Amino acid sequence: MKNFWSILIAYLAAWAIFFGYYASVGRRLARLEAELRRLSDRAPKS
Amino acid sequence: MSLRAAARVVLEKELRVELRTRELTQTILFFVLVVAGMFSFAFEPTAAESRRILPGLIWLAFFFAGTLMLQLTFVREQANDTLAALRLAPIDPFAIVLGKILANFAFLAVTEVIFVPVFSLFYNVGVGAVLGRLLLVLFLGTFGLAVVGTVFAAMTAQARMRELMLPLLLLPVLAPVLIAGVEATAALLQPDPSLPREWLALLGGSDVIFLTATWLLSGFLIEE
Amino acid sequence: MANGRWWRSAAVATAAALAITGYAIFMVAPTELTMREIQRIFYFHAAAGIAAYAAFFVSFLASIGYLAARQPEWDWLAVATAECGLMFCTVNLVSGPIWAKPVWGVWWTWDARLTLTFILELLYIAYLLLRSMVREPDRRATVSAAFGIFAFIDVPLSYFSIRWWRTEHPQPVLGGGPGSGLDPRMMQVFVLTILSLLALLILLARQRYRLEALRHRLSRLAMEAEAPPEAAWAKGATR
Repeated sequence: MKNFWSILIAYLAAWAIFFGYYASVGRRLARLEAELRRLSDRAPKS
Repeated sequence: MSLRAAARVVLEKELRVELRTRELTQTILFFVLVVAGMFSFAFEPTAAESRRILPGLIWLAFFFAGTLMLQLTFVREQANDTLAALRLAPIDPFAIVLGKILANFAFLAVTEVIFVPVFSLFYNVGVGAVLGRLLLVLFLGTFGLAVVGTVFAAMTAQARMRELMLPLLLLPVLAPVLIAGVEATAALLQPDPSLPREWLALLGGSDVIFLTATWLLSGFLIEE
Repeated sequence: MANGRWWRSAAVATAAALAITGYAIFMVAPTELTMREIQRIFYFHAAAGIAAYAAFFVSFLASIGYLAARQPEWDWLAVATAECGLMFCTVNLVSGPIWAKPVWGVWWTWDARLTLTFILELLYIAYLLLRSMVREPDRRATVSAAFGIFAFIDVPLSYFSIRWWRTEHPQPVLGGGPGSGLDPRMMQVFVLTILSLLALLILLARQRYRLEALRHRLSRLAMEAEAPPEAAWAKGATR
């Protein structure tokens, strides 16, 4: 297959960007959720 | 108070402030002079090269000078919080922005009238025959710069690192104006000068579109 | 929660669609005659570009929605779609040169569409930077909505300026003149790619929207609880 490496790199790069972005949003979400739990534990129960 | 009268009052106020100190115009004039020299040192152009790169140099010099100057549009108001007073005035917020746009345009236009001959001299490219058309192209582009730049200066006035943010926001948005301006200028500096209609239309069209957007959005940007 | 289950099955369906798309691109689509295999990048490259434009357009509408309604939800939608659009735009910009190198012999050329995509990328990076520099949430929403509107109305202007400036990119395969167009099998694969990338865009944007909504809720909570300013939300809230 001609240009096999070019095609492979292009697809790997595309997927790296998509998954990297998905993971980064997921990580930020998880951190905020932990923060939310911490805050609601500290807040006076009403 | 009508929009026209209110914008005029703001414009007069801006001009009066500037005439009192002349700090903006002096600084910008010196800045363009420095840039004109630095470009020469950096490229050492021959006569043929000068003709080719001069349009780009002129536009970049005025664009960078503009971004530096526009920065101060709203920052100046912050020292004594005079923007709050302007905001309290019973006038359309667009009048405030329009007055400032016209003032900024006036400062840049003065700079251009002074510096087009200097560039022509430094780079040995004659502009006498096309001076009127060249200034028309420059003024159309500069008006777009003044419109978008004034709006973005209002946007970034409260942002952190606003001195860096303004050029970053402004230059990509002004890319079409830069392309059209440089291409029109290049066509005018050819041995057989012409002024292609599509570039003129694009410059004028950008001005109209940006000004319309400003008219619609200035109410949101001037509020507290 | 039924809503959550719905989104989870949507995610599974999207993953399946993407897998089928990958198979179709390499196994179903015929090999292009002059460009050979390298043309298989086209499906992803062009579809990512289309998805990016769609995302930026939604962001533009959401910016208008925010200024009209002053509901924070519009602002969340605007930032979610702008950021996702930027990701798709990046995929388009990265895969482009890899295709261009064997076909044109250069990685990059300032042709019309490359330049336009480059400017789009700059505009939306600037949009996200601006957001990170304004602390106060209402002001940030207003200012970024205004910039989002300016950025998007700039697209047609850039398009015309660049088209008159230079053109070298392959002509559009959709809606080109007679004689342009794709082999029907290629067209089917291309449409499939567009649809699955749009589904991926919706999933990613929804995730990003949730993040922004959570941030909003946290900053409210923290204000009520009078959390110390060095709390983690304060660092995250500006990004």
